[in-house]
Amino acid sequence: MAGNKGRGRASYTFNIEAVGFGRGEKLPDVVVKPPPLFPDTDYKPVPLKTGESEDYMLALKQELRGTMKRKPYFIEKPEEKPDIERYSKKYMQTYKEEWIPADLKSKNAQGTDKVSSLINAADVLKKIEELEKKGDGEKSDEENEEKEGSKEKSKDGEDEDNEDAEQEDDDEEELEEENDYVNSYFEDGDDFGVDSDDNMDEATY
Amino acid sequence: MYQVHKRGVVEYEAHCSRVLRMLRYPRYIYTTKALYGDTGELIIEELLLNGKMTMSAVVKKVADRLTETVEDGKTMDYAEVSNTFMQLADTRFVQRCPMVHTPENSDTGPPPPAPNLVINEKDMYLVPKLSLIGKGKRRRSSDEDAAGEPKAKRPKHPTDNKEPIPDDGIYWQANLDRFHQHFRDQAIVSAVANRMDQTSSEIVRAMLRMSEVTTSSDAPFTQPLSSNEIFRSLPVGYNISKQVLDQYLTLLADDPLEFVGKSGDSGGGMYVINFCKALASLATATLESVIQERFGSRCARIFRLVLQKKHLEQKQVEDFAMIPAKEAKDMLYKMLSENFISLQEIPKTPDHAPSRTFYLYTVNILSAARMLLHRCYKSVTNLIERRQFETKENKRLLEKSQRVEAIIASVQATGAEEAQLQEIEEMITAPERQQLETLKRNVNKLDASEIQVDETIFLLESYIESTMKRQ
Repeated sequence: MAGNKGRGRASYTFNIEAVGFGRGEKLPDVVVKPPPLFPDTDYKPVPLKTGESEDYMLALKQELRGTMKRKPYFIEKPEEKPDIERYSKKYMQTYKEEWIPADLKSKNAQGTDKVSSLINAADVLKKIEELEKKGDGEKSDEENEEKEGSKEKSKDGEDEDNEDAEQEDDDEEELEEENDYVNSYFEDGDDFGVDSDDNMDEATY
Repeated sequence: MYQVHKRGVVEYEAHCSRVLRMLRYPRYIYTTKALYGDTGELIIEELLLNGKMTMSAVVKKVADRLTETVEDGKTMDYAEVSNTFMQLADTRFVQRCPMVHTPENSDTGPPPPAPNLVINEKDMYLVPKLSLIGKGKRRRSSDEDAAGEPKAKRPKHPTDNKEPIPDDGIYWQANLDRFHQHFRDQAIVSAVANRMDQTSSEIVRAMLRMSEVTTSSDAPFTQPLSSNEIFRSLPVGYNISKQVLDQYLTLLADDPLEFVGKSGDSGGGMYVINFCKALASLATATLESVIQERFGSRCARIFRLVLQKKHLEQKQVEDFAMIPAKEAKDMLYKMLSENFISLQEIPKTPDHAPSRTFYLYTVNILSAARMLLHRCYKSVTNLIERRQFETKENKRLLEKSQRVEAIIASVQATGAEEAQLQEIEEMITAPERQQLETLKRNVNKLDASEIQVDETIFLLESYIESTMKRQ
């Protein structure tokens, strides 16, 4: 019943009078873009409080900022340099690191762990290479190449967090996913001709 | 800040609220200066900057700092600093940190990965019996200030202290809650002074002072105080008779703001200060003031009207406020869009059909306060961002001016003539100087704004906290 009445005419589901618009009155424009970043204000803001105590607190604040920066507790985020890991970094330990609890300490000392884990990865790769020579090699070849790529990347990066280990995990997971799609698509030069007959995805001219 | 996870791995988490307190450090330090002088100010400053320290370390450092500012020949005695420290502990502005709990049978298995910190209520303000004899040392260029050395390196301390520190392991920290209590009391007293007069604010201040140590910081109201007690503890020199005091108290208790309430008649009348209501009034006043400054006084009138009448229809708003319909509508919608006001639906029929529902305007102070607090946080963020941006833009200029200052200082130290200094000063050109001036002015303005926004943040946070506790 209410639906029929509204056909061909703008109507609302609620009593428009209750919200304050009379019938037929011009409604405000529809908003077509996000509000401006710095909208004009009708009223200027009230000026700041001034006085002796405010001045003193201001001076205190700026002094505190300077003092805090010089404290040993102020640990700056280590800059990530994209070039190779410097040998001297292992031996140049600032004593600021003593303030960090043992668990959260930067992984400089644990660099050896990374190396050993990489060595394990290298062993695994060797095994995979042997396997590849026996069975179907495309999958492991892909992993081989990608793993070498990620190994180099993780050696270069000076990231001292756990992110690298996680990154490797992520890389491996991504690799396995990629293999689903990329597997039969792109391999070494040797096997290219052999498999192209099976692969109907490529356009044939 | 940390807790041991079930699996035995230690979890760390950052306490955001504690980080935000850093905005308030200047206020804490300045308050201590007003109450306990320069000595107190430096004690609190050292504690805030270092988190926690042993008493002897604080005393030593503060004495050294004070000695430097005093003229040559005089030194600051440790005893004076210790006295101030004890005063601060007595009034609870500093408290002991929780300590490592050693169980009786300490040889059962390996120690837990993270120490379990406990503190006994009674011990929190116990000052250890130390006999700190000594005077502050004036820092010479040869003595490197070894501040903040880790505990392990303490025996290798370069200066005289060869014996082990007597109160090792007893750390003190600044008691922020106590400061907040003080700020809250200050706000209440000044509100009463603004609303009534100086005398009533002095009465309220006396009442608050009496309940300082008897009431915990998050109680909804103070212990009942009898009129006789209040009379006795009024500050000396305040010559008002008992009857006048009683009249003032009655006036305060009858005031619609309900800061003071009457809880009984024994002892000449028992009165309490109602913190919940007081904070609510302060928060409401803040909201009203924001609306007034942002939207105008007519809007503020509508806001106060809706606040008073709790629920109003569109038509009623126009009638009561005596503002033409179009304007009233406009203002209501502006406030609605910013969430200061909200709509309450009251259906006439069970199917909530919009054409048969009442829509009433109402103000929910708690949610409006939360919204305003959120905006305050955003403002602070913007202020800090802008300040950092300004500083970064002019980094080159700032560094240059610092270098020039250093040169001037070194040249002056080795004795220089006026002409040389002039030359060095001219290394900074006039427009550059102008730029530096503008930069300094802007940065100061932004900094001062941060401090002021923090005052609003404190009010709103206290109000929200007290309301949540009551529920």
